[in-house]
Amino acid sequence: MSHILTILTFLPLVGATVVAFIPRTATAKIRWVALVTSLVTLAWGIGLFLGFDLHHPGLQFVENYPWIESPPVAYHLGVDGLSVLLLLLTVFLAPLAILASWRSIGERVKEFHLLMLALETGMNGVFVAQDLFLFFVFWEAMLIPMYFLIGIWGHERRIYAAVKFILYTMLGSALMLVAILYLYNATGTLELPAILAQLSGPAPPISPKGARWLFLAFFLAFAIKVPLFPLHTWLPDAHVEAPVAGSVILAGVLLKMGTYGILRFCLPLFPEASRQFAPVISVLAVIGILYGSLVSMVQPDLKKLVAYSSVAHLGFVVLGIFAFNPMGLEGAIYQMCNHGVSTGALFILVGMLYDRRHTRLISEFGGLSSVLPVLGAFFLFVTLSSLGLPMLNGFVGEFLIILGAFHRRALYGALAATGVVLAAVYLLWMYQRVFLGEVRSEKNRALADCSGREKLILTAMAAVILGMGVYPQPFLRRLDQSVAEVLARVQPGEEAALVFGSPKGWNDASRVATSSATTFHAPWLLPLPGPERERGPLDLTRDSRRELRDAAPAELKGIAGVACTPGEAPRAGMNRR
Amino acid sequence: MLRDYLPILVQLIAVSTVGAAILAVSAWVGKRRPSREKLSPYECGSVPVGNARERFSISFYLVGMLFILFDVEAVFLYPWAVVYKSLKWFGFLEMFLYILVLLAGYLYIWKKGALDWTR
Amino acid sequence: MTPVQALDFIRVLPEIVLASCAILVMVAEPFVSARHTAALAWVSLIGIVAAGAGNAWMRRFSGPAFGGSIAADPFASYFVYLLLLAAALTLLGSVRYLETNQVHHGEFYALLLLGTTGACLMVAATELIMIFIGLEISSISTYILAGFRRADKRSNEACLKYFLLGSFATAFLLYGIAFIYGLTGTTNLVQLSEKLSAPGARPPLLWIALILAFVGLGFKVSTVPFHIWTPDVYQGAPAPVTAFLSVAPKAAAFAVILRVFLGGLASAGALVFWLLWISALLTMCLGNLAALWQTNIKRLLAYSAIAHAGYVLVGMAAAKAAGPEAGEGIASVLFYLAAYALMNVAAFILVAHLAGAGERYQEADDCTGLAYQRPGVAACLTLLLVSLSGFPATAGFFAKFYVFRAAIHAHLIGLTLVAVLNSVVAVYYYLRVVVAMYMREGNPRASASPLPWPLGAALALSLVGIFYLGLFPTPFVRLANLAASPLP
Repeated sequence: MSHILTILTFLPLVGATVVAFIPRTATAKIRWVALVTSLVTLAWGIGLFLGFDLHHPGLQFVENYPWIESPPVAYHLGVDGLSVLLLLLTVFLAPLAILASWRSIGERVKEFHLLMLALETGMNGVFVAQDLFLFFVFWEAMLIPMYFLIGIWGHERRIYAAVKFILYTMLGSALMLVAILYLYNATGTLELPAILAQLSGPAPPISPKGARWLFLAFFLAFAIKVPLFPLHTWLPDAHVEAPVAGSVILAGVLLKMGTYGILRFCLPLFPEASRQFAPVISVLAVIGILYGSLVSMVQPDLKKLVAYSSVAHLGFVVLGIFAFNPMGLEGAIYQMCNHGVSTGALFILVGMLYDRRHTRLISEFGGLSSVLPVLGAFFLFVTLSSLGLPMLNGFVGEFLIILGAFHRRALYGALAATGVVLAAVYLLWMYQRVFLGEVRSEKNRALADCSGREKLILTAMAAVILGMGVYPQPFLRRLDQSVAEVLARVQPGEEAALVFGSPKGWNDASRVATSSATTFHAPWLLPLPGPERERGPLDLTRDSRRELRDAAPAELKGIAGVACTPGEAPRAGMNRR
Repeated sequence: MLRDYLPILVQLIAVSTVGAAILAVSAWVGKRRPSREKLSPYECGSVPVGNARERFSISFYLVGMLFILFDVEAVFLYPWAVVYKSLKWFGFLEMFLYILVLLAGYLYIWKKGALDWTR
Repeated sequence: MTPVQALDFIRVLPEIVLASCAILVMVAEPFVSARHTAALAWVSLIGIVAAGAGNAWMRRFSGPAFGGSIAADPFASYFVYLLLLAAALTLLGSVRYLETNQVHHGEFYALLLLGTTGACLMVAATELIMIFIGLEISSISTYILAGFRRADKRSNEACLKYFLLGSFATAFLLYGIAFIYGLTGTTNLVQLSEKLSAPGARPPLLWIALILAFVGLGFKVSTVPFHIWTPDVYQGAPAPVTAFLSVAPKAAAFAVILRVFLGGLASAGALVFWLLWISALLTMCLGNLAALWQTNIKRLLAYSAIAHAGYVLVGMAAAKAAGPEAGEGIASVLFYLAAYALMNVAAFILVAHLAGAGERYQEADDCTGLAYQRPGVAACLTLLLVSLSGFPATAGFFAKFYVFRAAIHAHLIGLTLVAVLNSVVAVYYYLRVVVAMYMREGNPRASASPLPWPLGAALALSLVGIFYLGLFPTPFVRLANLAASPLP
């Protein structure tokens, strides 16, 4: 077994150990060690992303060693497409967060970087753990650095926010712990694939009623983290009070752990219960979208506005997940990454404004684009990405989610689409008030524009935003297998839509897609010409399908003239498990 | 089963009867010549009037407590002496150790000055 | 009755070593000048280590001793190690404490050793009278220790309160023992178990005996509602003594509860189960809720100690509910107590250091900003608190996990839910100290002097233990299972 994932996970912790031995006065050295560690981790993560085998069903880079004898806990790591994407997001945001704090964190530099690196290990661990115990260890261990980040380097109400954050999350995870123990008691194992195999077997060891309770226990833990309306009240406090790096990581990665958990545990383990609760959850998600958008609109505080916009965006993600169709799911996962990058960038930008003016009140600003042209341009770019302008990343995810929601229930889609409009309203209005018009306050006249470091951060983020918007295929392709596996559990038959095309309502949707794609010169969304026309826009490119066809087992070839498609592969994979 | 307890019951009745009888008879036939001395509470021979919170040397307590300690320990020697012969050397050794522990305690209080009256 | 043999003495070797060492220290004390009392501490430490070695050596000679009143079995051996560990850590933590507080009395160490001896006798005893004697030896020593800071009113109060209530509780225990003897004609746990499990042999008043004995032992482990003495005594007693008090007599009393209620009186099933269940529930909830309002660290840790007793009782209820498969529950209790011993002793001896001379600074706010004056000390206390609140990678987490697993296995889902929710509540008050140390501005009033090396060694040992138990619990789980196996 290779140790790729172990290295990815614990590399930051090694960096943290190094930082621990640097004298606290050598702040520059500490910063550089932290930055270099996170960059090396990023490089490693990119390597993982590129080395990920598209055609391999199930987990990859698996490491599995026995760890604790009784209860039988294994050090079981592994990634699928979903994990790979979120890992990449995590290792991408970590160096940016460190870089963004280069100037703004002046005190207790050593502790800060130590905790940041420890946090990165925790986050990576959550995404690679395939053993429930191990997952829980990372899930909870990660809380402590975050708690300190908010509590020590936060703003005025930091202590309240930090305690609220940790208590909310603990409440959810406490119930999840009971659920994990119950699952262990029923199945005799703590390893996720083994539990999955038992639960999807002919004689599942858990009754439907038990499954409902377990679903709720898991879901509550994740819904708090997401956060789903009405469990979101910790989020504005934590995001607003946290330092820039804390906000970036919170919004960028921690919230995704909730949706990741739903996709990784709730849906595959308890498909029946997921279907039963889907309507309620979808309604809550839609409420979250509208509520988050409306509340954002009236926020006088920039950071709070961005924080509430997260509630709305994550509402989209949950809605997409519980649409139980390929568009919804892939869109939701893609949107998780988009939100991480865009909102992370927004928090960094707000932090830059804060560094200059030491206020976050919108009313204090105005006309900044004449003083800070570069910052203003980046701000606009990120704002547009966040509100889902085509060509930029946000569009792909939101569009797919709304498509999926329409497919599930037109009303959800319609309401969610309203959310997009509202997002445009609050984001653009905010931009207008901050950057456009006359410079009203004298204090704003003499602000310095972006430094080289800031430009570097923003360019990196803008490049990713653009890249993910123009060319989502490398990301989406890695998701196909995971999405198909989840769908095969939760909505059998739907995973076929991933491949064979033409789900109900697809034609209308694809027409929309086509027109918008042509309008914005987005060829990746155009349906492919010829016989493939029936296939969805999410599908693999022709080349990759050809590769797949060549790689497919002989008996699958030529079935009804359809080439071997990834839809089969996961099912075959599951049988193999 | 309950019959086993009958003698106890009989004794209870007998004791209470005798006690009650003595009290009753003495109350009936006895002469009363009360005096101030007789009516005052009995206080171990010391004068019962005056301030009850009079201070006296703490050493009284210390010596009193030490006396009780060593006195109670000595009580164990009696049953031991009775069965000494059947216990043989083992019994001797055990009691030796026991006395040794007492001796250690004695040495400790001596050295600590608990036995010095004027300190 | 079999005559006493040399083997009998080998089977109580740790107790003999400890008692001899205690007497030696006591007699030597008047001969040692006040400046050199620390030397007695090292003699005592050697005694503890020797007792540990004796405990290891006598594993080859396990079996009953003194006519079945003592058992040298893995269960006893496990607890003896645990108690010796608690004593050793306390000792290391109290050397400098006594110097800072101008307490130059070497008797401290003798009493500590005697308290440990009593506790060791308790865990090894398989005979109710023997248990009682052990309990008294350990109690009387700790009563005195609680009042060791004679010039301090709170210490006096703690001593008297502990003494009065403690005697009251032991009277209950004795009354219960008398009842058991009256009902069954024996005080030997093995015979008791045989007599009670015989068909048709359920003495009618056994429940009274059970409840009386439970009250007596419940006092020692401070289960609600017999906990009222705990906060006052823990707060008033010298902090290293509190460290010892909160672990050694408690662990020993838990061992006795296991032996008596799951061993000797095991056939009185339902009542024992409900006793454990109800006291687990009350103890957890009350301990945690009351701790929420505490600002004094010692008091806070006192309530937390009560709450931890509640979690242990969850494990016991699980063991009781599991019937013939009680081993897992018992093992979880044993593991929990080991983790608890490491965390709690370390936390209290560290607080003893922070409180400074005369223990003036016990409030959480006194630690304000400590993290920037003494980052190492603050990090250390934080890790201990994190472990106490049960975050993963620490012993506290795995111990809870293990106990809850046993509880779920025994289908005590309601109780487990209450327990996990309680541990969330607990996070709030443990973090109060962390908040003060790291997140508030200001200078600490608490002693910011560097850690004396014996204390540092004790803390390092505890932290290594905490992470070892948290990350690699397997050897310890095996040990606990081994110790739990002969019991039912």
